[in-house]
Amino acid sequence: MITRNYIWSACWVFATMVLLIVQPVSAVSQEIDLLLKGGHVIDPKNKIDSKMDVAIVAGKIFRIGVDIPANLAKKTIDANGLFVVPGIIDMHVHVFSGTDPGSTSVGNSARSQQADAFSFRSGVTTVVDAGSSGWRNFPLFKAQTIDKSQTRVLAFLNVVGNGMIGRFQEQDVNDMNPVMNAHMINRLYPNILVGVKSAHYWGDFVSVDKAVQSGQLANVPVIVDFGEHEPANSIEALFMKHLRPGDIFTHTFSEISSGRESIVDEASRKVKPFVFAAQNRGIIFDVGHGGGAFAFSQAMPALKQGFMPNTISTDLHDLSMNGAMKDMANVMSKFIAMGMSVQDVILRSTWNPANVIKRPDLGHLSVGAEADIAIFSLKKGNFGFIDVRRSRITGNERLEAELTIRAGRIVWDLNGISGAAWTPSLINN
Amino acid sequence: MMYSKMNKMWSPFVRRALATLVLVLLIGYTTGYAQTIDILIKNGHVIDAKNGLNSRMDVAISGGKIFKVAANIPSEGAKKVIDATGLYVSPGLINMHTHVFAGGNTGFVEGTSSQLPDAFGPRSGITTVVDAGTSGWKNFPQFKSQVIDKSSTRVLAFLNIFESGLVSGNATEPDLKSFDVQATVDAVKANPGIIVGTRIGHYSGKDWAPFDRAIEAAQVANVPFFVECHLPQYTLEDQLKRMRPGDIITHAYENVRERMSVIDEQGKIRPFVKEAQARGILFDVGHGGAGFWFNQAIPAFKQGLLPNSFGTDEHRTSMNSGMKTILNVMSKYLAMGMSIQEIIARGTWKPALSIKRPDLGNLSEGSEADVTLLKVLSGNFGFVDSGNNRIEGDKKLEAEMTIRGGRIIWDLNGLGANKFNQ
Repeated sequence: MITRNYIWSACWVFATMVLLIVQPVSAVSQEIDLLLKGGHVIDPKNKIDSKMDVAIVAGKIFRIGVDIPANLAKKTIDANGLFVVPGIIDMHVHVFSGTDPGSTSVGNSARSQQADAFSFRSGVTTVVDAGSSGWRNFPLFKAQTIDKSQTRVLAFLNVVGNGMIGRFQEQDVNDMNPVMNAHMINRLYPNILVGVKSAHYWGDFVSVDKAVQSGQLANVPVIVDFGEHEPANSIEALFMKHLRPGDIFTHTFSEISSGRESIVDEASRKVKPFVFAAQNRGIIFDVGHGGGAFAFSQAMPALKQGFMPNTISTDLHDLSMNGAMKDMANVMSKFIAMGMSVQDVILRSTWNPANVIKRPDLGHLSVGAEADIAIFSLKKGNFGFIDVRRSRITGNERLEAELTIRAGRIVWDLNGISGAAWTPSLINN
Repeated sequence: MMYSKMNKMWSPFVRRALATLVLVLLIGYTTGYAQTIDILIKNGHVIDAKNGLNSRMDVAISGGKIFKVAANIPSEGAKKVIDATGLYVSPGLINMHTHVFAGGNTGFVEGTSSQLPDAFGPRSGITTVVDAGTSGWKNFPQFKSQVIDKSSTRVLAFLNIFESGLVSGNATEPDLKSFDVQATVDAVKANPGIIVGTRIGHYSGKDWAPFDRAIEAAQVANVPFFVECHLPQYTLEDQLKRMRPGDIITHAYENVRERMSVIDEQGKIRPFVKEAQARGILFDVGHGGAGFWFNQAIPAFKQGLLPNSFGTDEHRTSMNSGMKTILNVMSKYLAMGMSIQEIIARGTWKPALSIKRPDLGNLSEGSEADVTLLKVLSGNFGFVDSGNNRIEGDKKLEAEMTIRGGRIIWDLNGLGANKFNQ
């Protein structure tokens, strides 16, 4: 027994010595977990727009450079011919999915969608829920959705305490409590709540003003869905008097017959002068495509006249997902079809939204940043893109998410470029 | 003047005959003969396994139903004409294996592991999904009101023999007392055509009672029995032997420890699997997160053990893995060498028959207009299995348009839209 123990101890000592010798060698030869080789990197923050390799270690960006040797990597992915960009940020979604029978809108209902079902397959690694919850039901939203999602889910907290459980409930001025709202953002969930939402209010500017009040208290931006008023309220007053620089106007290219003022004059098809002034003032214009909020009759003249949205987003929900919107990659492709460069599209869906929500840790590929990365192919062919009025433009390019990485982990791989080739010898391995 | 002259010329008999003729023509025009076509799909390659169609044809939809399928239906009078040149026109796809009892709970029942049918259905050409036993007789009414009644996708269900379905978070159903044959049969009978079978899966006990009682319920209710995996104490051979012709086993090509694989160590279909196939047991892909392996599917395909349906086993972990969409699963079979006709038959008519819904999965005149326009993309594509093993292919299916009950619910490139005028 003693002899056996002695032999075992000797074995352990020997094994440990072997490990001590071998380990540093293997660590040197395989220090990179994942190496993305030969892709065209677009990283607007770091002004990178060229062929580069991206190395990931322990879930973080480890190195970006030309010709990082593949023998340093445990796994190498050939990204030749593909765009390698920071993980896409979709700044306007509704993902508070649930089954509250009392909800008629996107708050805790099946009208909201599951983040993971739409994000990764579109290159998205971060979504920002736009006010589906308010301070009363945000904890439920967090437990139900945010904590369970692989996608990073951030949120604008609705100025209405009950969030979006119905248009009617959204009119309750007594449920708009800027102090409670700001407390929840600042004191309880500063890492998740990135701003305040005002939406669907039928009255004057009360909802916006209370949201701004909360935004001031919490030092966060406000995002406004403005336009269910009869008659329509002035967006010039909204941009120039009520919102602060850094606040966000969503559904930028909406054109509906009444209740909402358009940014492009419907007769002359000219961008209204105060819209440029507002953008210069620092008002953020977000696409927020949605089911009813994107018309080519607004977007096409605006782009031609030099007005570009600051951020591109989907407004994902049940009524947008199967219509003209479809998914983030489709909305981004639509802007390419309208003439925006790939670089401009990526900027507006990565670094710009990250800045708008004051999360400069996101939306770029700086060394040390969490490795959220999207790899896109730019498919060539004959494609069509429609708006919410079912009018169609054509384009010959479409972005497709080839591979998505969230915190260093591959969460989407369309064509299995990270997989190993199958061979018949693998039978019952 | 002329008129009065003519009036005098024509006898009352002729006038009456003319009036009758005009009336007959008018009635004919407004009702049957030239019924208004809401959507006319022109020049697509129609594949309809039930009706043996496999050629270039037009499909006319009227009042939410298939009005006519024929070559060269005139466009005049059609409210909308879709140019389907270069596309395949198929009956709406049926996804035989999904989990769609979605909600905020952990797990599958009213849970985040289940997926909303409209989120993945229309965009992959699916018009009908079958939920694989996420609910049992006790919570089926809740499933129906929360999901089935609210979805534009047609949602059918296999009813779990366990009364509350896949209720626990770890996907293992509880004890032997929690099933009731009569209540299960009653639920099937109360929801004819919606509950299309009974189901077992995720049972870790040795007792055959739940398995046998699920068959008994299926027998009494005259519906098929659907078998998932996660039944580690039952051998595959015993499961197949107990199953009846027309019963369905899913995860057919899985290669996991808890269930014996259909292919043996020499790469051959196990003899008892062949016997089961010959007896009429049906094999569903049930891809899932861990349920599809090329080392099973490829030899099985080569040796003739073909899937009867392409169930995806849709849930939160399968959707972003090797599975992705039903079209990706079908495209794997394209890459493996199955013909497009065989694939569409297994995505439409064969599953419709197996769940005894012969009204679905076909384009017969008068049937509900569930239609899918598929494009076969050419390029270099890769497909992975549950072990991240990759095969390559040069074709891939894409859903160009999906029509459910005559309504366009997906239009990838705006084929049904109007050109934007500057």
